[in-house]
Amino acid sequence: MVMIAEWMMMFDREQLRMVLALFVVAVIAAVLLGLTNMATRKPIAMAQKQTLQRALQQVLPEHNNDPQAQVIDVDGFAIYPAREHGVLAGLAWQVIAPDGYSGAIRILVGVHPDGRILAIRVIYNKETPGLGDGIVHNKAWVNSFRGRGLEGVRWKVKKDGGDFDQFTGATISPRAVVKAVKGALIFYRDKRAVIMRRLSGKLSRKVKAPPPRNQSVM
Amino acid sequence: MNKQAVFAEGFWHNNTIFVQLLGMCPLLGVTTSAENGFWMGAATLLVLLSSNLVVSMVRGVIPKNVRIPAYITIIAALVTVVGMAMNAWVHSMYLILGLFIPLIVVNCSILGRAEAFASKNSIVDSLVDALAVGLGFTLALLLLGGVREMLGQGKLFGFPVFGTSYPDVLMFVLPPGAFIALGFILAGINLINRQMAARTAAAKKAQVMRAEAGSVGTASVGVEAG
Repeated sequence: MVMIAEWMMMFDREQLRMVLALFVVAVIAAVLLGLTNMATRKPIAMAQKQTLQRALQQVLPEHNNDPQAQVIDVDGFAIYPAREHGVLAGLAWQVIAPDGYSGAIRILVGVHPDGRILAIRVIYNKETPGLGDGIVHNKAWVNSFRGRGLEGVRWKVKKDGGDFDQFTGATISPRAVVKAVKGALIFYRDKRAVIMRRLSGKLSRKVKAPPPRNQSVM
Repeated sequence: MNKQAVFAEGFWHNNTIFVQLLGMCPLLGVTTSAENGFWMGAATLLVLLSSNLVVSMVRGVIPKNVRIPAYITIIAALVTVVGMAMNAWVHSMYLILGLFIPLIVVNCSILGRAEAFASKNSIVDSLVDALAVGLGFTLALLLLGGVREMLGQGKLFGFPVFGTSYPDVLMFVLPPGAFIALGFILAGINLINRQMAARTAAAKKAQVMRAEAGSVGTASVGVEAG
């Protein structure tokens, strides 16, 4: 205490006033931030859940379970199962294409239990509006993934000798997405047994019929 | 202080974007559509109102030497609050503007208003100033966002305005388009201001001439009388 008092003596009144003013401002700011965090934590979590929910609806087939409540973790991927009356109808998880034109692209892939794509949805990207962001808005292109599996499909853009279109003036974004989706399917092929084992506690192994190809999304 | 004069000054005569050319980063970054521009403007307006309010409340309490760190702490806290609130209640917009919201902290117009106005004026005047500057900023973002969205994608607020056959002019969506559109907007605004100035000048001149004519008249009368 004495030492602190001596130390304080080294400052004159004006300096103490400055320190005190900044201290009070910082404390008030901290309290304000804490209160706001408390007030917004739940709504933010809910908004994020709803955003994910909407995206999941778009890549998963009809289901009557809550995929977010039954999520499992396999190798750091959060895998959301869709079940119709307890029967596994599809799985969805997020993959990241690190090689987009401007930064990483996050994609939600919906996969049928037989290892074919149900649907994909780009949930985050910073690609060029009007060019690369066709990976979000170009419905025909997005739908071209439907029903494709690893077998008999060349997982490249046409420019690279593959089966997927690129866009006029934008090859990098579709290329990155195609590569990432292919990676998701390879992950599923390699980890299928693990995934099924993790899920099997709660469901039968029966699988619904695969979806028809090129069925419209919305 | 005259509230109307304060408002006109902040909103138009000293508009952050059109006249001072400050805050270019959010302006050019987010104005790819009218809606983005509007929400960025709204967020900035909210921060301005609260920062001007707080700074004006603590004016005289904060020692001069530490006022800038104190103001910046206040502004940074308020921006974070606005960001969290947007994340919670306008989540889809937060996903689009997310990157730019923290940058409101370094929007020099906000610290500028705190330093140049709120720290020297009453709470009410500071709020009027914040409202004027914030609305002026929003107007600029909305205008530029609207122009870019129309020219770039043929839409306004997401609705097609030029029909479906409109060829999207990609350049206006990309950053160079922002500079070009801003240049034309600035030219237009200077034109308006110059015409307004010319009109007031002409009116004044006419008044002066009338007054002179009057005084000459009296003078001649005086001579005659002499």
